Amino acid sequence: MDRVINDFVHLLRQHSVRVSPAESIEALQALHYVGLEEREVVRDALRAILVKSRDDVEVYDRLFDLYFSFQEAADTPKPRLRGVDHGHGGAPSRLELGEDLEAETNESDEDHEHTHEPPQSIELRKFFDERQLRQGEDLHGAPDKLRLSLFAQQLVLNRKQGALQQIFDRISHQLQVRRARNVFQPGGVAPLSDSEELPIDISAAELQDLIDHLHEMEVDEDLIEQLKAQADNIIEGLPELLKSMQERQKKLAAKQPDPIDLHQRLLRRLLDFSATEQRDMEAAVRRLAHELHGAHSRRQHKDRTGRISISHTLRHNLRFEGIPFQPVLRRRHEQRPRLVLLCDVSLSTRNLARFWLHMIHQMQSLFSKVRTFTFVADMVEVTHLFEEYSLNRAVETIFGGQLLDVDTKSDFGRAAQQFCDEFLNSINRRTTVVILGDGRNNGNPHNEGALEEIAYHARDVIWLTPEPKWGWSLGSCDMALYEPHCKRVEVVTSIEQLGRIAEDLVHSKV
Amino acid sequence: MPGRHLESVLSRLATGTLQVFTQKDEEVFVFTSIDDVQSRLTAQQYVSNRKLATVVFLATRMNKPILVEGPAGVGKTELAKVLAMTLDRPLIRLQCYEGLDEAKALYEWEYSKQLLYTHVLREKINQILDPAQDLQEAVKMLREREDIFFSENFLVNRPIMQAIRSEKPTVLLIDEIDRADEEFEAFLLEFLSDYQITIPEIGTLRANTIPVTVLTSNRTRELSEALKRRCLHMQLDFPSKEVELEIIRLKAPGLGEKLAEQLVEVIQSIRTLDLRKAPSIGETLDWAQALVILNAPQLTKELYEETISVIIKYDRDAEKVLAHLGVTGEATKNITNTANAASYHHGHYH
Repeated sequence: MDRVINDFVHLLRQHSVRVSPAESIEALQALHYVGLEEREVVRDALRAILVKSRDDVEVYDRLFDLYFSFQEAADTPKPRLRGVDHGHGGAPSRLELGEDLEAETNESDEDHEHTHEPPQSIELRKFFDERQLRQGEDLHGAPDKLRLSLFAQQLVLNRKQGALQQIFDRISHQLQVRRARNVFQPGGVAPLSDSEELPIDISAAELQDLIDHLHEMEVDEDLIEQLKAQADNIIEGLPELLKSMQERQKKLAAKQPDPIDLHQRLLRRLLDFSATEQRDMEAAVRRLAHELHGAHSRRQHKDRTGRISISHTLRHNLRFEGIPFQPVLRRRHEQRPRLVLLCDVSLSTRNLARFWLHMIHQMQSLFSKVRTFTFVADMVEVTHLFEEYSLNRAVETIFGGQLLDVDTKSDFGRAAQQFCDEFLNSINRRTTVVILGDGRNNGNPHNEGALEEIAYHARDVIWLTPEPKWGWSLGSCDMALYEPHCKRVEVVTSIEQLGRIAEDLVHSKV
Repeated sequence: MPGRHLESVLSRLATGTLQVFTQKDEEVFVFTSIDDVQSRLTAQQYVSNRKLATVVFLATRMNKPILVEGPAGVGKTELAKVLAMTLDRPLIRLQCYEGLDEAKALYEWEYSKQLLYTHVLREKINQILDPAQDLQEAVKMLREREDIFFSENFLVNRPIMQAIRSEKPTVLLIDEIDRADEEFEAFLLEFLSDYQITIPEIGTLRANTIPVTVLTSNRTRELSEALKRRCLHMQLDFPSKEVELEIIRLKAPGLGEKLAEQLVEVIQSIRTLDLRKAPSIGETLDWAQALVILNAPQLTKELYEETISVIIKYDRDAEKVLAHLGVTGEATKNITNTANAASYHHGHYH
């Protein structure tokens, strides 16, 4: 039983759902309480314990269906995928058991579990067809006996764990490669014109390896034969499999079925963050948030966790004949940091915009007082966009061109001047200004004074640029001029770098 | 004399002076099965689905806190209240806000009481310290007794401490945890995982009875992994049509069946719009009540205009919703004004 859960947890982790060891133990406990009678209850219980983020729920539900789908598959065999007949008339294709590759591999794990630990896993039998468990020897004959032979095979397969897995890995790897190459249809699989295109060769070698291994293990010849046939079935069935996978991919991609042009679709792709990326980003921004302290207020205030202020205590306790009944504690309050973010969304930084805007989104959710502006040549406030809309929609609106002309040449000088003229009152001595941009002015006046003005009013100016330092004075880049006005200038092009800088800032403080 | 004994028991039973503890009483404090959870929540007029019931059941069995996330007004806080009622436990509530610290949530030393005691006991202290030869010895003697001044006597109980020290099992509601600072989450960790609090001066206080703990979050920010890991996580969303209808039937029984259905349909369709704030269940109920008071036979366009302010609290939203419901532009203009006035009115009274 615990292995079943472990495997399931492992599967979740593979799909970048973070599950701690403690949680998998708790999952077992929970199953003990709710029992295994009801599939939906098991699903809800495991979800409550293993899934802690709304974004992961979808993944979880899908994997749960695949992982625990044995019974349904066995009870109601789906129509054969193809009219394949390999001598062993009626040998059911392995494909009947699951809908795609993941299901295949994982189910076999589950069975493996099942047979090796009979005493503990009795409850789990409820997931399975009883008949399969009883008639363990007969390989040929009636359909339900054939099913049991499947079961036996999985046993054998599991002794050489990973062999089948490898095959599937290979195949799915190939699939991914194909998908990646197909740039203009994000997330989709290349349409199949012919089954000949399939990557059968590669899996054939792996299969041979597996069969050799089975021979070594002196397994029943019949079984091996059948295995072979079934493996052939798998390969034969690959086009179908691919098709179904493609459909699934389509289903996944077809969340917003409105006819969007390529531009927008690419945008969406840009914003398609993996869960791990999201988490890394969040962690990095959190660390950064730690460093960006607000200013200390000059006056001390009463505070329960402060230090005893002798003078105030004495004065306050005069009414008790000077006996300090009520100590007065005071301390300096640290104000929450206020942030103003200026983000360059021009063409030259377009490929980084996804990263930056995501970062801004994070920052807005972490800090209470953040105002966000975007600029190319004009400066526009977009704080409300991030507040009201989802990240995707906000970014679409920004790049949509209604707010500002995103296709002109970037001109930081002019944008900074505009900021000074219109929004200077949004910064004060508590505000940290973070500029995200490459400092390219494309020959326009650099307007150093405007930045100086901003820096004068703000507590700190931090500039995050994608360009390495040697490029700062080259071409149309005015970074070298701007640098002296910033407290820090950091080169950031990836989450790792952001993380490192956050780390740096935290350490340098000590 | 067994006969007489029985008689007296019966008479005491009749007058209610004798409390009979049976298996059933025991069961009041715990849930026996998932179905039990669901039926008992329904008995308290809280409509739940099986998912929620499963999580609640598990939480009471595994002694784990429940973290409920979801938009405002889907019944997160209500869940804790209803749990307290069904389990017949007192509800202890900790409302989180920015700047909440451990002194407000866990415990606090009662300085004045400590000082008062010191002052009153001054003579006694003098007596004790009398035999001391020099200052060092006096300090040493004092030190031996200093723990009397840092005992549980001098602690002010804050909600979490209350829950821990309560003799009777409680339900602890930590409301809107996402409003508190991140540091505060860290304070909670020890309590959430082990139901204990460590106070430097005293040591570790373990819970007498393990409280059923419910944390709620509106997802204004992402909670830390550590906190989430210690809880059973549940996402509550706006209810389905059927469930919402059931809620209305339970809570606003005066509303006609047909009207209720119509109302739920409208509300559900409004929620699909892109609004600043979608109408919550509470607002649905307010609307239902309003219709009951107005004695409306059915929902008409005029009625939408007149009562929109009950469910929609922003001008811009009101415009959108009215357009969605097919009320004409000119009417909309008027409405926003009345909606304005009405929502002010509304806010005033609550």
